[in-house]
Amino acid sequence: MQPALTVSGLGKLYKLYDSPRARLRALLTGRDTHRPHWALRDVSFSLERGHCLGVIGANGAGKSTLLKLIAGTLRPTTGSVRLGGAGRVTAILELGAGFHPDFTGRENLRFASALIGISPAQAARLEDSIIGFAEIEEAIDRPVKTYSSGMAVRLAFSLATAVEPDVLIIDEALAVGDQHFQKKCVERIDSFRRNGCTILFCSHSQYHVRQVCDAALWLDGGSARLMGPTEMVLAAYETHVRLLDSKQPEAAAPGAGPAAAVHKALEPGQRGTIREVTIGPLQPGPQPLLRGDTLEVTVLAQVAGDEEPNVAVMLEQVGGVGITSVATHVDGAHAVRLPDGNWRATVTFPELPLHSGEYVVSAYLFDAQGILVYDEWFKYARFLYASPARLPGLVSLRHRWS
Amino acid sequence: MQSLAKEITDLWQARALLAVMVARDLKSRHAGSALGFLWLYAQPLLTIAAYFLVFDVVFKMRLGEGAPTRALGAYLIVGIIPWLAFSDAIGRGMNSLVEAGALLQKNPMPPVLFPARSVLSSAVVFLPLIALLVPAYAGLHGFSAWLLLLVPLLALAVLTWCLLAYALAILAAALRDVIQVVTFALGVGIFLSPVLFPPTMFPRELAWLLWLNPMTPTVLGTQDILLKGAVPGFDVWLAMLVWPAVLAVFLDRLVARSREQLIDWL
Repeated sequence: MQPALTVSGLGKLYKLYDSPRARLRALLTGRDTHRPHWALRDVSFSLERGHCLGVIGANGAGKSTLLKLIAGTLRPTTGSVRLGGAGRVTAILELGAGFHPDFTGRENLRFASALIGISPAQAARLEDSIIGFAEIEEAIDRPVKTYSSGMAVRLAFSLATAVEPDVLIIDEALAVGDQHFQKKCVERIDSFRRNGCTILFCSHSQYHVRQVCDAALWLDGGSARLMGPTEMVLAAYETHVRLLDSKQPEAAAPGAGPAAAVHKALEPGQRGTIREVTIGPLQPGPQPLLRGDTLEVTVLAQVAGDEEPNVAVMLEQVGGVGITSVATHVDGAHAVRLPDGNWRATVTFPELPLHSGEYVVSAYLFDAQGILVYDEWFKYARFLYASPARLPGLVSLRHRWS
Repeated sequence: MQSLAKEITDLWQARALLAVMVARDLKSRHAGSALGFLWLYAQPLLTIAAYFLVFDVVFKMRLGEGAPTRALGAYLIVGIIPWLAFSDAIGRGMNSLVEAGALLQKNPMPPVLFPARSVLSSAVVFLPLIALLVPAYAGLHGFSAWLLLLVPLLALAVLTWCLLAYALAILAAALRDVIQVVTFALGVGIFLSPVLFPPTMFPRELAWLLWLNPMTPTVLGTQDILLKGAVPGFDVWLAMLVWPAVLAVFLDRLVARSREQLIDWL
């Protein structure tokens, strides 16, 4: 079968000029005095229909450049992007750019449809469903300047995804509107995927990449460092990030006490943060050795407003073998509101069915719907467990001899 | 001329979108006002009325020998409308790319659409006004068939504006100072044109300077046709062709050198 998307030898060279004056001189005389900077270099891959590729990497690794080249808003310096079949590409890069504040929602909708290549006839057919999905029926004939930012973004998302694309590009844009609407967005993207839409997804949240992507591409300094099954690439990337962190003196030692949990102001734009993760009960001593056979993980978190957050905890062997994950929104459990406004969730694993070894706990903080990841403390707390069973293994399974 | 040819193909393929963009641009120029699209025509119409009343009705000022008409107001009106159109088209066209930065960075669309849209919407506002002048001036010479020459003359003018506006828009994207310099040039350029004074009033040794103004041939041609019902001279037609040709070569270079990075400069 023909791949839905083939990227071959894609590269983007930025010409950096010392000043805009030098830029103008180069433009007029043709004598170039730029310093070359490859934002992306020689990236090749192909994606089958219905597959989802997660693009990960540090800031400046070329993630956005890659997505923009595929979306067609940037022109590549080298290489090409080929689409299989009809090839409608929809990019959710920044929603609502191009809305004119003095025009009504409906007028903006018509113009924006033309911009993304929807014919007037098709736009007229889709109009009601777009407005319905965005849930702004009562405001659609008012100027957009009277909209809340959430309303404008809802309208833009609803339009961008009104026509099912063959390739969907999402650049960290899942934070759309309120939680109710976020859920609808995720459901819509999910249904595209089930229908065979190919998705390119760029996110800092490894949780999301893990959850939705079949494969991951790790970009480092503009080049593809590793591409393959999500888990493999993420494990390599996480090891790399940890190595970088361990070289920095302020990095917290595993198992050591965290920074004091206080209810301090969230940073602007931040909607929630984990304040403290504790595991126990531990034996006194230098090694974080679990006392007894019960593991308790307590996550202390702070979120903006009165939203009730969800908390997830992941347990892994230190070598990177995942054992289990649990989450309040999956189990129908609730975090507890503390008098100081923070939230606390404690999960207890009684009669820990583990063999002796070294384990590590990660904690995640979610929004009230369990969709958006507000914060993640990945592989934060390490502990040792000495099992009464002296045999090798990882988990003790219920078993019966006969 | 490969680069320019590619731009023209892009523009042609996106012509439906271009039409939508022109309509929206015109609408956005008067969005939120009570009189709506009347405002688009208010400024040029009031200019015409003022020139006519002040120079021809109240003061009855007369031009000297060698002018294409005796009435100063009638003379000024014929030149000022194309000039206003030019200055509106270039001013808006030059800013169009910088203003469309956010849109171009998020949507895959050819940049050429934006200067073309600005120039075309200025043309849509001003060209009907010139047509409106035709019956008013026809009385000077009877309805001469040469009036039809206005069509190719103005078509060439709009082509020149498109090329110039796109070139300036690219330069403005590279260096924002271009906008200040050109805005100033548009302000004083009217004095270096036959809009306010007939060319015969310019010092003979400086008259060549007039031809450095891309609007000189258009204004001279419009004056010939409307005021005298005459065919514009060879020099006018030559300049009408040389300007777009020179600009096309220049623009082709600019596009070739900037194509890959233009969006990043916005």
